[in-house]
Order: sequence, then structure tokens, then C-alpha cells
Amino acid sequence: MTVRPQHALTARDIHKAFGKHRVLRGADLTVEPGQLVAVVGENGSGKSTLLKAIAGTLAVDRGEVGLRGELGYCPQDPVLNSNLTVDQHLHYFAAAHRLTGLERADELVQLLGYEKYRTTAAGDLSGGTRQKLNLTLALLHDPDVLLLDEPYQGFDWETYLRFWDLVEDLHQRDKAIVVITHLVFEQERFDLLADLVDGRLTPRSSQEKEPSHASA
Amino acid sequence: MPQLDLPSGPPLFRQFPTALRFSVQEQSRNRLAALLLGLFVPVWYLLMISIAGNKDLEFKLYSTGEMLKVGGRNVTLITAGMNSLTMISGFVVFDAVRKALNFDRRLAFAGFRQSTLIGAKMMAIGIVTASIALYTALALFLFWRPGFTGWGAILLGFMAMTLTYGSLGLLLGVLVKNDLEGFFLIIMGGLTDTFLQNPLGNPAANKPVLQYFPSFGPMQFSVGSSLGDTVMWRYLGMGLAWAAAFALIGLVVFHFRTRSRRPTR
Repeated sequence: MTVRPQHALTARDIHKAFGKHRVLRGADLTVEPGQLVAVVGENGSGKSTLLKAIAGTLAVDRGEVGLRGELGYCPQDPVLNSNLTVDQHLHYFAAAHRLTGLERADELVQLLGYEKYRTTAAGDLSGGTRQKLNLTLALLHDPDVLLLDEPYQGFDWETYLRFWDLVEDLHQRDKAIVVITHLVFEQERFDLLADLVDGRLTPRSSQEKEPSHASA
Repeated sequence: MPQLDLPSGPPLFRQFPTALRFSVQEQSRNRLAALLLGLFVPVWYLLMISIAGNKDLEFKLYSTGEMLKVGGRNVTLITAGMNSLTMISGFVVFDAVRKALNFDRRLAFAGFRQSTLIGAKMMAIGIVTASIALYTALALFLFWRPGFTGWGAILLGFMAMTLTYGSLGLLLGVLVKNDLEGFFLIIMGGLTDTFLQNPLGNPAANKPVLQYFPSFGPMQFSVGSSLGDTVMWRYLGMGLAWAAAFALIGLVVFHFRTRSRRPTR
């Protein structure tokens, strides 16, 4: 019998080394439904490595991950197919998730403001538009748990604000969201800030964000 | 990635046509390969026959053991065709597979069954490489009219070769770390393999060691059927066996490289 985890996401004692460089040294992360968590840390501290490990794109040396519901992962570098158009990407991933329609995709494309590029091949898109498509693919199936690795890189200000409206909507709908961020001024948006230092995650106490139903 | 609650959308088999359509599309949108096919193939034929001249050569048919006396121009056209299509089919598939590997993994994580992706990829390789072989065999008519059976045998030999090098492209696409390594291996492999089979360029062309090269079977089949009167299906099968071996190893590596690494409890 499969035992379902209690939390939306739990990562326990994650270890990952690249050669002698031990990037993650027992990182723990727990996220509840409806919780918005920021993972912060210096360049090279292992934030992306942690998200890759949770998403399953990178094998870890030790540790375990538990998920409740479906996962959406937006990698830092857009993972797209240069030869396929935006619409073809949407159809491809709709088939992957076995969606009956493209309503959510249409909504996301409109919200992020790139409808006019729907028939453009991904290889011909600007960096910002590639990132919009990258994010759309992660959100297409309305997942319960979201891992977003600096998802707004290359966005203009207008799109950046729309992105936060979108996250707020997901937050209200009880989705568990983990975002890697560098930007100090947006940290008040989060329920919890977790610092990745020396390969471990520590909740930031100065924020006093009531980490009552979750801990990093 | 494994999902606890499978969505109750369209049935899984409906994923296949989508995967096939987009796999063919990603492999056929290679502009450089299209240019090579359109221009390089006829120019290569022309160049090779102008070097070859028209003296007779001896070509050993391994199925009967006989030495076939053949026109050097015609054998050279067959090896030139094989030579150009090994490079083009290898390049097309290698480039597409390598560039799409992370994307394919993302698709698999999103819910595509790996077997569906693998099946669609292989079928797309079959369609694209067969089209390359057909074009290269049609371009042959500019220089030589071998008769319907002879041409048909050359086409089949070409198809076995494009499938072999397409499968090699798949294998290298999932294995090697950068473009240059893959291109170098395909070009050098294809050149060495096909040139060695031609007695004009290689005095040792009729030596048994050539049996261990991928183009040996298709070359024997094409020459035997078009320039002799022996149709040697077994030799076509040898070419297909190389294709199957490359494809099988490539698809196993593909399976491992697109699987989820999440340490679930």
C-alpha cells in the first residue's frame, strides 16, 4: 500500500555532490498546500540543484522526496524545442498531461501577453518570450505543487506584475509554490523565506512570517 | 514522472499520433540538411563520376563468391549516393535528437509514456530517413537509368543505409556531450565505411574484412541486384541488423536519460 505524504511537498536530508564539491548537505524542505515559499541564497549555493533534485531531473546522492498531487516544474533555462512553434508546444504538453482542451493554455498565453507569437517557432522567440512559454508549460495542467526557478527572468515590468497576479491566484487556490528568487524587495510576498547556506535550508527568523504550518 | 492521480483525459494511445507528428516535424526542419540534400547530393554524384571515369572494375559478390565485372562509373554512383546519405541522415537525426533530449525528458515527466516517445521517435526516424533515401535514389536518374528492379534494389540499399546512419545519429545524439564530436564521428564513419567498399578508391575493397562495416550488406545487395542479376536479401538484412543494433542501444540510453531521478520514498 502506498502511504501518501501529509504535506504537499517534503524533501528530507537531500545530499548532492559534484566531484568533491558538496553542494547539498542534508537540505530539508516541507511545503503545505496554499503555502508560498522562497528559496534564497548566493550564486552557486545550490538552489537550482535542490529544485532539480525535487523535480527528479537530477539524481541525488542521498535523501528522499514526497509529493502529494501533480508537480509543475519551471526550470531556470527554458527547456523548449526550437523547431516547434508555441502552439505546437501547447498541444504537445496538453497531450502529455492528457488534457481535453487548451483553455488553461489560452488563458496563460493571454495573461502573459504573447498571443501574437503563437505560430512562431521557439527558436525564433526572444529570451523573455521563451521564458513565458517555459512557465506556461509548467502551469498548463494546473498542478498542485509548483517549483519555479527564477521564473521571471527577461520579463518586462508589466509581465512581471502579471506573473505575481498569477502566483497570487494559485496561492489563493491552495497550491503549494516554491520560488527561487534573488530580489530583496519581493520577499514580503512570501509566507516563508528559506536561506540555502552551506547546503542546508534555514527558515529566516527575522521575517516572522508565522511558519506555523510549515518549516524549511 | 510518476503521478499519484492519473488525469482522466483522452486515452493514452492518443498520445502517439501527437508525438509522431511533432517528432517528424522536429527532424525535418533542418534547413542545412535540406540544402545539403538538394544541392550536395547531385553535385557529389557529378564530382565522383567525373573522378571515376568509366573503366571496368571487379567487384566481389560474397553470396556467390564470383567476381562481377562492373562499370566503375556505376559502382561509384552507388557508393557516392551511400556516402552522401550516410552523412545527411546521420546529421539530421543526431542534431534533432541531441537538441530535443532535455525537451523529451520534460515531456516524459509531464506524463508522456517513454515507450510512446521512443516508438514515435523511431517511426519518425524511419519516415525521415526513407525520404532522404528516396530523394537520393531519384537524383541518381540524372546520371544513370539502371532499370526498375535495379533502381528498386538501390533504393532499398539506400534505405537500409539511411536507417543505419539515422540510428547511429540517434545513438550519438543521446550519448555524446557536444555537437562537434557527433558530427565528426558521423562524417568520418560514413566516409570510411562507404569509400572502403568501392574497388575504385580502395584496392582492398574485395577483402573479407569489409564484411564488418555497416555499408557492406547494403552495398552487396545494391550492386548484386543492379549490376549483376543476384538479389541477395540476406545482405539487405545485414544492413538492417546494424540499424537495429544502433537503434536498440540508442533507445535504451534514451530511456535511461529521460527517466525520473526523484528519490521517492
